[in-house]
Amino acid sequence: MLRLIAIEFKRGLLMLRRYPVEMAGQLVVITLIFYGLFLGARYVAGPAAQFGDRLDALIVGYVLWTLTMFAVGDLSWGLMSEAREGTLEQVFLSPFGPLRVYLARNLAALLVVLAFNLAILLVLLVLTGARLRFVGAALWPLLAALLSAYGIGYALGAMALYFKRIQAFLNLFQFVMMFLIMASLEQAQGPARLAGALLPVAPAAGILRDLLARGLPFDPGAFAVALFNGLFYLALGLWLFLRAVHLTKRRGLLGGY
Amino acid sequence: MEAVLEARGLRKAYPARSGPVVAVDGVDLTLAPGEVLAFLGPNGAGKTTTIKMIAGLVLPDAGQVRIEGRDPHRDPAALARVGAVLEGNRNVYWRLTPLENLEYFGVLRGLSAATARRRGRRMLERFGLLEKARVLTQQLSRGMQQKLAIAVALVHRPRLLLLDEPTLGLDVEAAERVKALIRELAAEGQAILLTTHQLAVAEALSHRVAIIRKGRIVAEDRTQALLAQFSGEHYRIELAVEPDPERRRRLSALGARVEGARVVYAGEEEGLWRVLEVLRPLPLVRLERHRADLTEVFLRLVQEEADA
Repeated sequence: MLRLIAIEFKRGLLMLRRYPVEMAGQLVVITLIFYGLFLGARYVAGPAAQFGDRLDALIVGYVLWTLTMFAVGDLSWGLMSEAREGTLEQVFLSPFGPLRVYLARNLAALLVVLAFNLAILLVLLVLTGARLRFVGAALWPLLAALLSAYGIGYALGAMALYFKRIQAFLNLFQFVMMFLIMASLEQAQGPARLAGALLPVAPAAGILRDLLARGLPFDPGAFAVALFNGLFYLALGLWLFLRAVHLTKRRGLLGGY
Repeated sequence: MEAVLEARGLRKAYPARSGPVVAVDGVDLTLAPGEVLAFLGPNGAGKTTTIKMIAGLVLPDAGQVRIEGRDPHRDPAALARVGAVLEGNRNVYWRLTPLENLEYFGVLRGLSAATARRRGRRMLERFGLLEKARVLTQQLSRGMQQKLAIAVALVHRPRLLLLDEPTLGLDVEAAERVKALIRELAAEGQAILLTTHQLAVAEALSHRVAIIRKGRIVAEDRTQALLAQFSGEHYRIELAVEPDPERRRRLSALGARVEGARVVYAGEEEGLWRVLEVLRPLPLVRLERHRADLTEVFLRLVQEEADA
């Protein structure tokens, strides 16, 4: 599996390098957003602004937003593009099986995005002389949120594999994700609070808000709920993806677009 | 010799509004090491569905596939024994160089990165692509891209190579190079299942031919045996002059047909000598035994089935 992750990491970087303008564009956008945050422009963070006014909270919020959006769409966009270009079936010929290949590919791509963000952040910290006081505990809910988001990503990937064209649906999902991240369901009462624990990503986003915006201590109980939520959605997403692989092969739809 | 491929009773139907459409209906195929099987059929006959069932990309409704005894639909190790170049697909990443493609797909098929790189270089050398090792695949000619796709399919040294229309869209020179490569691979013991609409390519490369029509195999035999079967006892004699009326009468009595300066005789070899006796001493231009080519065999078989 490590071998697969390493080769996917290399492939991802090589593909990026082949379109230098596209890569430069991405770097400029990330740099401008971080720079804007450093200058106090909260609005550039988009939905992240609701994780608190402090710079570290804004940055964590922004990273949560970009990474979850990436996790939700990465697999589906990749599958659609490979089906269109005619490399999908070659990937499915791997004895590792599509699930392991795509897990390795997603992990490698996440590492690339994280590395981009971290590198730019560090450069800006050095250039501006700013100092951040990260709440280390924020990493855990971030991880739980990513598990949930990848679960949704695999469920959408299942649709992309079977239907091939789900671009409009993927765009719509930006708003679903915005709701899941922004709705403060952890403060609601009754059924809405229960929904906050059951909906994907929402419990992890709630913990981040508690930690960063409200200054509350890390709550292991709430984290357990968020982690279980993340694992549940990931398992569900993977199961749906495997079902879609089976169904797509049964209907002979793998190679079409 | 143990078969590399054994497919038994493969069946596949796709759902349609007017009811299921049977794409493949009871197909059996076997392939030994070093053997090239040309799998022929008109468009929509079930060739690609069969190939994809063998490669584990389409699940059969019934029947089984074994690659060196392993089922590609249940045992992932079976896929390590298959390489495929699929028609209508790029098969490789155009944004990567040939060497990067070979390394990537080599690892995807179970090799270490170092082994994949080493073998990749060797494959490029062999396929005459070494000087293009670092050029983006999208900048290569169609023929080079096809050779790369075959190299990628072979990098993990599979026992079975599936080639779906490997010479489609190639110019004459590139097609000849791909044909030479297929011959070489077979000579080294590679089992190759080849589909093509270019019947001359199939005739030149295959040891055996299987013809599929409407999902069923309508003929399967060694290529030469099939050609001989359709060639028949049929001789054509071309003369420098037209035979005189007396000779025409005697030829007609022997069952030969005279068309100007040409005599056509359908019968046993012994009878041919009697025809030649009658013609002596007229000057001969050519004497040939009619030999069917694969195109004729194919068309006759497909037509016979359609009439049946």
